[in-house]
Amino acid sequence: MRSQLASLVGFHLRERRRSALAWGLPLGAMSAFIVAIYPSVQGALTKVVAQYPEGLKQAFGIGELSSVEQYLHGEMLSLIVPLALGYLAARAVASDLSGTAESGRLEVLLSAPVTRRAICLAALLAAAVEVAVVLLITLLLSLLGSLLAGAGLGLGDAVAGFAAVWPLALVGGGMAVVVCGVSLRTSVVTGAVAGFLVAMYVVDLIGKLDEGLAGIRHASIFRYYGNAIEEGIEPLAFVGLLLLAAMLVLLGAMLFERRDLGV
Amino acid sequence: MSDAAIETERLSKLYPGGHGIAELTMSVAAGEVFGFLGPNGAGKTTTIRTLLDLIHPTAGSARLLGLDSRRDSVAIRRRVGNLPGDFGFGRETTGRQALDLLARLRGAATDRAGELTERFRADLDRPLGELSRGNRQKVGLILAAFHRPELLVLDEPTGGLDPMMQEEFLALVGEERDRGATVFLSSHELDEVERICDRVGIVRDARLVAVERVPDLLGRARRKVSVHLADGGGLEELRRLAGVSDVERFDGGVSFRFAGDVDPVVKALATHHVTDLEVSRPTLEEVFLGYYEGGEEER
Repeated sequence: MRSQLASLVGFHLRERRRSALAWGLPLGAMSAFIVAIYPSVQGALTKVVAQYPEGLKQAFGIGELSSVEQYLHGEMLSLIVPLALGYLAARAVASDLSGTAESGRLEVLLSAPVTRRAICLAALLAAAVEVAVVLLITLLLSLLGSLLAGAGLGLGDAVAGFAAVWPLALVGGGMAVVVCGVSLRTSVVTGAVAGFLVAMYVVDLIGKLDEGLAGIRHASIFRYYGNAIEEGIEPLAFVGLLLLAAMLVLLGAMLFERRDLGV
Repeated sequence: MSDAAIETERLSKLYPGGHGIAELTMSVAAGEVFGFLGPNGAGKTTTIRTLLDLIHPTAGSARLLGLDSRRDSVAIRRRVGNLPGDFGFGRETTGRQALDLLARLRGAATDRAGELTERFRADLDRPLGELSRGNRQKVGLILAAFHRPELLVLDEPTGGLDPMMQEEFLALVGEERDRGATVFLSSHELDEVERICDRVGIVRDARLVAVERVPDLLGRARRKVSVHLADGGGLEELRRLAGVSDVERFDGGVSFRFAGDVDPVVKALATHHVTDLEVSRPTLEEVFLGYYEGGEEER
């Protein structure tokens, strides 16, 4: 089982190696640009942000922007990076499950003595590695941007900020496995997970904007994602999101085992 | 315990739309080459996918190599090779990459793959998306057979192969049988079935309507005969023969169809001066028609 998993994950990663670069380089370049311009816009930003409504600042995670970490969180890590990488994880899983069903590969793979559960798990593990590589590229380019512009981005803070995205993205991947247990159409899988991620963000946003509805934030994965670049990783939330991703994969694998393939 | 390679008991897969398979009961002996025939949509591929646990039956059961098709699916697949009807592995993937992955998943050596590659003149180094259907099919055959499976399940295996490669495929099936493997294949090619299959099953509207030895199958099919006669004599006696139908006169002779024992036909013709005789082989469609027009035949 372990060697089969390693073989499947290795195969998926070799196939998707260009995808990791295609996502990591633009995200990293954007992040590096945000970090690099911070020293030159810092003063103006502080004045502008001071005039923002409090609710807006809370909703979009915009702090006082008195540090490059706050700026990077507000511009990249509060919304763009987690949504993009949650979607990437879903896309990677869909490519390895519904995509292989559409191409005929799944039928050939399942002619070999490999379980459907292993195929689901391998899809998520490959997505986990791909997301980690994209995060690493983005982190390294951000640090490079900071170094070149003298923005002073803290290494530990940056690592925490980008690392916190990983379990959230895996929840997106886990959700994709669940959807694959119901539909093997790639467009349905990626569309459903994109909708789920946006819905999670909106729920968190509503909870932030309306104190009376603050309780609903507990239903959103973005509540547990938090703001690690400024506040550090919350271990319980980090592990909790990973456990949620694992539970989703198990549920998805059960659905995948029960469903008919190749019809 | 039966020594059957495949055994099904009222195996059914019913879809809301009504297609699938219904109460399929059959047995394929170990070491047998079994052809599974029927028109598109009859249920051939559904049967194969149900046997391989890709789709789950709504009723009934199947045993492959003595194991339950659902409970022991992984153990069965260790000993089975499968060529899907529409073989694919992704456009960017090469045959060699697919082979390497399957070899690792099976824990099998790839030495025989080299031999098969040479034999089928397959190109394992080009992306599958760049290959013609026939060349992709060769790769699929190699992936199905490289690990010397005990049971080969092949869905329309010769689709797209050129005549030379079809010959090579028929030879390979013969060799598989000689080494004791069982081959279960679906086909539309009567010639292919006639040459390699020991028995055939015919499916019609999701039901197995007959299982026959190949000579019996062909014997039941109606052949078209055209006889040129020097005397232009009457052939009323032909109409009275059992198995003869559609008797029609044409300029210089007579044509008719017959199925069954040929001896009375030959004897009837022998009373005339025959200048030429043509007997057309039945097409698979005509074989099907023999069953379809007759309704449910005995199994």
